[in-house]
Amino acid sequence: MWPDSFSGGLICSIDGTMRMVHPGMPFAWAMLVVIFMGLVIAWSLISPRPQPRTPLALSLAVVPGSGPLVRALLASHWPRTLLRIVVAALFLLAIAAGFLGTPIPERNLATVLTWNVWWSLVIVSVFFVGSAWCSVCPWETLGSFAVNLRLWGRAVPDPGLGLKVPRLLRSLWPAAVLFAGLTWLELGFGITRDPRATAVLAVVMVALVIAALALFERKAFCRYMCPVGRTIGAYSQLAPVALRPVDPDLCLNCETLDCYHGSSTVEPCPTFLTMGRLQQNTYCLSCTNCAQSCPKENVSWQLRPMGNEARQSARPHLDEAGFTVVLLALTTLHGVSMVPFWDNWITELAMAIGDGQMRLGAFTVGMATSLVVPAALFIFAVAATRWLMGSAVSYRRLFALLAFAALPVAFTYHLAHNVGHVIGETQGFGEVLANPFGSASLPLSATDKHLRMLLMLDWYPMIFTLQAGLMALGFWLAIQVLRHRGASLDDSGKAPGGLGLSPMLGFVGTTSGFNLWLLTQDMVMRL
Amino acid sequence: MNAPDTWAGLCRSVLLASLATTAFIVPTEGVRAHHVLGRPAYSLNEDSNTPPSMQIEARIGSYFISMMAYPAFVRPGEPGRIHLYATHEKTGQPYTGKVTFSVRDDVLFGTAENENLGIQPPDDAVYRQGIVFKEKGEYIVSAFFEAGGEPYTIDFPMTVGDPLPVRSLFIGGLVLATALFLAFAARVLRGRKRRRVA
Repeated sequence: MWPDSFSGGLICSIDGTMRMVHPGMPFAWAMLVVIFMGLVIAWSLISPRPQPRTPLALSLAVVPGSGPLVRALLASHWPRTLLRIVVAALFLLAIAAGFLGTPIPERNLATVLTWNVWWSLVIVSVFFVGSAWCSVCPWETLGSFAVNLRLWGRAVPDPGLGLKVPRLLRSLWPAAVLFAGLTWLELGFGITRDPRATAVLAVVMVALVIAALALFERKAFCRYMCPVGRTIGAYSQLAPVALRPVDPDLCLNCETLDCYHGSSTVEPCPTFLTMGRLQQNTYCLSCTNCAQSCPKENVSWQLRPMGNEARQSARPHLDEAGFTVVLLALTTLHGVSMVPFWDNWITELAMAIGDGQMRLGAFTVGMATSLVVPAALFIFAVAATRWLMGSAVSYRRLFALLAFAALPVAFTYHLAHNVGHVIGETQGFGEVLANPFGSASLPLSATDKHLRMLLMLDWYPMIFTLQAGLMALGFWLAIQVLRHRGASLDDSGKAPGGLGLSPMLGFVGTTSGFNLWLLTQDMVMRL
Repeated sequence: MNAPDTWAGLCRSVLLASLATTAFIVPTEGVRAHHVLGRPAYSLNEDSNTPPSMQIEARIGSYFISMMAYPAFVRPGEPGRIHLYATHEKTGQPYTGKVTFSVRDDVLFGTAENENLGIQPPDDAVYRQGIVFKEKGEYIVSAFFEAGGEPYTIDFPMTVGDPLPVRSLFIGGLVLATALFLAFAARVLRGRKRRRVA
């Protein structure tokens, strides 16, 4: 299947550079997904209420083939330490290139590695390895090294002040605000095209980690503030891989809680988690401290059904629900801001309000609108669901509970959107890696960009297949989550089912449908 | 050949292969960067069809102003060009008076002295100012005109060559130094507290 007319090409953007425009998903593919969505909605309205069940799970430590290898990898800090050193070295090289290399973004390692490779792949990694990125995060590696003056083992005595995090910051709202700020810098300020600013941002993130480690107990930045880590954490509730007890009963009877307190040589859990009571991946950094400190070697990687935490085991919290809604809005904004007409809208708005040269005011208004609309839709959908239920459950509880349904919608759209970036924008990464500072290099010419577009032609069918598949998967998961979470309200005798959930079905359908429509639009690449 | 010799030989082979690969890749990438389908890319200048490096659009007072710079990335000693186009917000009529262009260093603190580039009349409603920067650096090109008794100034930042990014290094260094000082202070305070308790 192929679009009737190839709509990709090059356009001249507002800053005067020629940008690649990749064609959107063909209409026929989108229609197939829409038909699938319709069938799922019909099924959800007529099928009986789902019952909670114990999910299947497979600990990799007990699998005959991989078991010994997994146990060996988890028993030592070295595999992770080596990976951390490699990633941190690459990160430092990118910072150096950002400060000292060419200002041409597509030739500088700082911009290419940060925005084209890492920023796209980090979300894709959640699909395969959950929150594993956090375990090798260079912000944390360098921050910890600066404060503890060591890369592994337990720093005794703790060199930080060890203060408790103020109550105001003890939620996911700081991470939501920082994520919105990062999005503003990325899409509004245009940091993706500025190697210097990218390097400054990298230094600022490390500085924030250092400050949090110096002031607060354990890893407060990772736990409450990191916009990337909390996004990974939220999405990894859907991931099919997580660190969990090999034998849950052993953890339930544990009295020493080494995973929480750490041992004489291993740091405690950086985010205050206890393995025996762990029900959601939101705050797990996959650092494997728990696996190394457990005297019974009872912690390992586990395979489990995708989306199980969001479906039934994760506990609802208002801040996490708010973060999910913000995430949904910001992922959609990423798509909206890359369709060609967005640039025209912002320019017209900037002209209308007399905005400055960078149109930051107009972008801020556009971004705020993009945040408010999905949030308002969700608030309304929850209120309507509650009204249909006869107000048996508090609005706050329902808000927190039903937000889990927005998670698969945000995650799979984020993945589908990033698939285009990963395949379309990582071309030439080898060249940049061979010349990270971009010495003596010239900007990509229009001909270079046309060549890259041509090289993409073979990839489009695969991109469209992945995007359509991901959108269908996300919708299916969202409906599953909605049905299970709706059924979990059964103890009150007022569980919404079938038509009772129709406002939320409408919300999931509207947001998924809009995201699908965005994927059918041409997309302007970053560089 | 005994075992250590084998290992040493293997290491030498890997090292030589790595060096040969690096020696092959690095110049190849450099050459490719300078040629685009046989057309030497170093011919890119103000007369080439390279898109403008930057374009800014803004409404100042009663005028919509668009300003562009050629070529994509200006280099020291090579000619560049700046275009300005201004239309009245209500009538849509282009501005027809003269525009004064000037340039100054984009300094971190204070203000640098302006150097006049020229006064340009419209050329088919577009004001064109040629420019050659002698040294790499961060500059601000300003365009000034008067209309309806009101002064209009628009600034256009330009990076010439690959200058040391003093501003970025200063900001990054300051932020990092503050955080490291905080970590050091926390360590000292924690140590004092521990000694008091002991």
